[in-house]
Amino acid sequence: MPARAQPPTEEAVKATFLPKFARYVAWPAARQLAAGAPFQLCVIGRDPFGPMLDRAAAVEQIDGHGVAVRRLPNERGAGACHLAFVQGQQPADTGRLLLALRTQPILTITDARAGPQRGMIHFTNISGRVRFFINEAEAAQHGLSISSRLLALAAGVTQRR
Amino acid sequence: MRKFRPSRSWIDAPAAIVAVVVLLVLAGIGVILQSEAAYRDLQQQETRVQAEILAASVTAALDFEDAVAAREAVSAIRVNRQVRNVGVYNEQGNLVAGYGRDGPGPPGTLADRLPPPENAVASEVPVTSRGERIGTVILATDPEPVSRRLTRYLVIGLLVIMASLVVGVLGVAQSALRRANRELEDRADALAEANAELKVQVSERGKAEEQLRQAHKMQALGQLTGGIAHDFNNLLTVIQGSADMLRRPGIAEQKRIRFAEAVVQASSKAAALTGQLLAFARRQPLQPEVLDVNTLIRDMTDLLDRTLGERIEVTTVLATTPCTVEVDRAQLESALLNIAVNARDAMPEGGQLDIRTAQVADPAHGEMIALSVGDSGTGMDEDTLARAFEPFFTTKMTGKGTGLGLSQVYGFASQSGGEVRIDSTPGRGTTVTLLLPSRGTAREKARANESRTLKRGRTGRILLVEDNDEVGEFAEQLLGELGHDVVRVRSGEEAIEQAFAERFDLVFTDVVMPGMSGLDLAGRLAASRPRLPVILTTGYSDEIATSGAGGRPVILKPYRPETLAEAIEQALADRK
Repeated sequence: MPARAQPPTEEAVKATFLPKFARYVAWPAARQLAAGAPFQLCVIGRDPFGPMLDRAAAVEQIDGHGVAVRRLPNERGAGACHLAFVQGQQPADTGRLLLALRTQPILTITDARAGPQRGMIHFTNISGRVRFFINEAEAAQHGLSISSRLLALAAGVTQRR
Repeated sequence: MRKFRPSRSWIDAPAAIVAVVVLLVLAGIGVILQSEAAYRDLQQQETRVQAEILAASVTAALDFEDAVAAREAVSAIRVNRQVRNVGVYNEQGNLVAGYGRDGPGPPGTLADRLPPPENAVASEVPVTSRGERIGTVILATDPEPVSRRLTRYLVIGLLVIMASLVVGVLGVAQSALRRANRELEDRADALAEANAELKVQVSERGKAEEQLRQAHKMQALGQLTGGIAHDFNNLLTVIQGSADMLRRPGIAEQKRIRFAEAVVQASSKAAALTGQLLAFARRQPLQPEVLDVNTLIRDMTDLLDRTLGERIEVTTVLATTPCTVEVDRAQLESALLNIAVNARDAMPEGGQLDIRTAQVADPAHGEMIALSVGDSGTGMDEDTLARAFEPFFTTKMTGKGTGLGLSQVYGFASQSGGEVRIDSTPGRGTTVTLLLPSRGTAREKARANESRTLKRGRTGRILLVEDNDEVGEFAEQLLGELGHDVVRVRSGEEAIEQAFAERFDLVFTDVVMPGMSGLDLAGRLAASRPRLPVILTTGYSDEIATSGAGGRPVILKPYRPETLAEAIEQALADRK
């Protein structure tokens, strides 16, 4: 729960957002969860969130599924992920990681602070508020369907043609 | 008889009408109340639906704490002017977005919310996302505006009023109808009574008229008999007088002949008179014979002269060809006499009587003989002309005419298949034309000759049946003169006895007799003595007139000796 005493930091907000994205995305049939199994939220590369992310994921319930956080140094073992926050040490690394994940139906999330490389959802800061861009076209290419409600909140959407 | 009417029906009483109206009003109120409740339910539902829609649209905004997006979604609600206030709360119960249309907006936290005011319609709906509650939406709307409610009440009220009016009007109309019906029935009863009264009066009047007619008839009859009596008295004077003179011894031959002639003529006239009467009463059977009108007129000139008197000049213009007709001789003579008498009475100062015969071709009836008698008398006006043929109608003074003359002419003409026409100009004269069917070239039967000598023909044994003594005696003498052997009886019963006791050649019987009539007698004899000829004689007979004499010869009274002689001759000849 975000503290009431002081306004939450940017990272805290992003941390709460991350698990929530799973509510508004539909994965292809191959990645459907068994009853009770949690969504896999992976952090690939650097982890700017720390325990905040764990706390946020812990309270998340999506149709009776929880959200489990995994931290991976690289793309190896990322096959079971549903969502993946990708941040390399360098922007180039982020790019390479994204490339490596491109065959998987994984919702990739990136942060503009780390670099220009964009995943399907790309965090940004507009007028002091945490906003995000959504590349719906890419998500669709990977078999992911993003709810229009989320798209409505996005600062910008790249839609499939 | 008055019909039984029920005093009132269930719909007649005004109480019933009032009850119906009350029911209608109650129904109206019921409808209003029920619709109020229904409306409230509907509003509640609508409000809830709106809240649910809003909740769905702010799900992501709440999830991602995007107040801007939430505010956008909330402001979309503003279009609905009926929404009083809206509040979108997050998981913690804090207001994320909302507004109040007028006055304060929604409370900052859910915990602070107040129960909605009485008349407001509020709805509280959870915001859920993928099975998790992430917030709350509160939405409150105005209740139905008063104006709309009133309109609704008004409409219902109007309907109730109209229905009540209809019922009221119906009730009034019903009672009015009932009243009218009662009135009508009363009138019908009155009418029926009046009708019955009328019928009674009509029948009374009918009776009175009948009585009047009878009285008239009796009066006419009185006139008639008076007239006839008068005529007969005249004739009887002649007959009696002449007969008295004939009884005197040593009378000159010429005088004797004259007196005898007078008797004959007078009797002839008397016979004509009765014939007239009977023809009028239609009791005289016609005895048509073929005769020449010209000859008949010539024979009648003497009689006409005597009837008309000295002051009237008789001229005849007869057709050159014979004018043969088949009519009853006596009737024709009577007709001519009647016309002549009328002509005489129309010329009290004297004048001219012009008799003409001619053959005419009538388009409708073919060849006719026209016998016209014209006088230079006073003539007849239109009204008299119209009634001229009416029986008992006469313009002559009482006792001076029976009023039967022209009706006899008319009867005779139509019975003979012809017609009679009158042309008259007041002040100038009258012409009466008798049209009779022509018999062409049929020869006139040879008449009995002038000499009046009795021919002695066949003789035989005759059974004479006559109940009247004078007539019987005369007949017996006459038959004796003719050379027959006569046995006289006075009734049909006696006749039968005699007929079976002795042999007879002929039966000569009167028809009208007390007990057995001549016709009955003839019938009886025909059964047992079929070859015994029967001759009937009668002054008149209903039976003969209506059903004939069964082929037996009928001698009409009064009869001339020649007539009887001929008939007997014929019968005896036939027998042989």
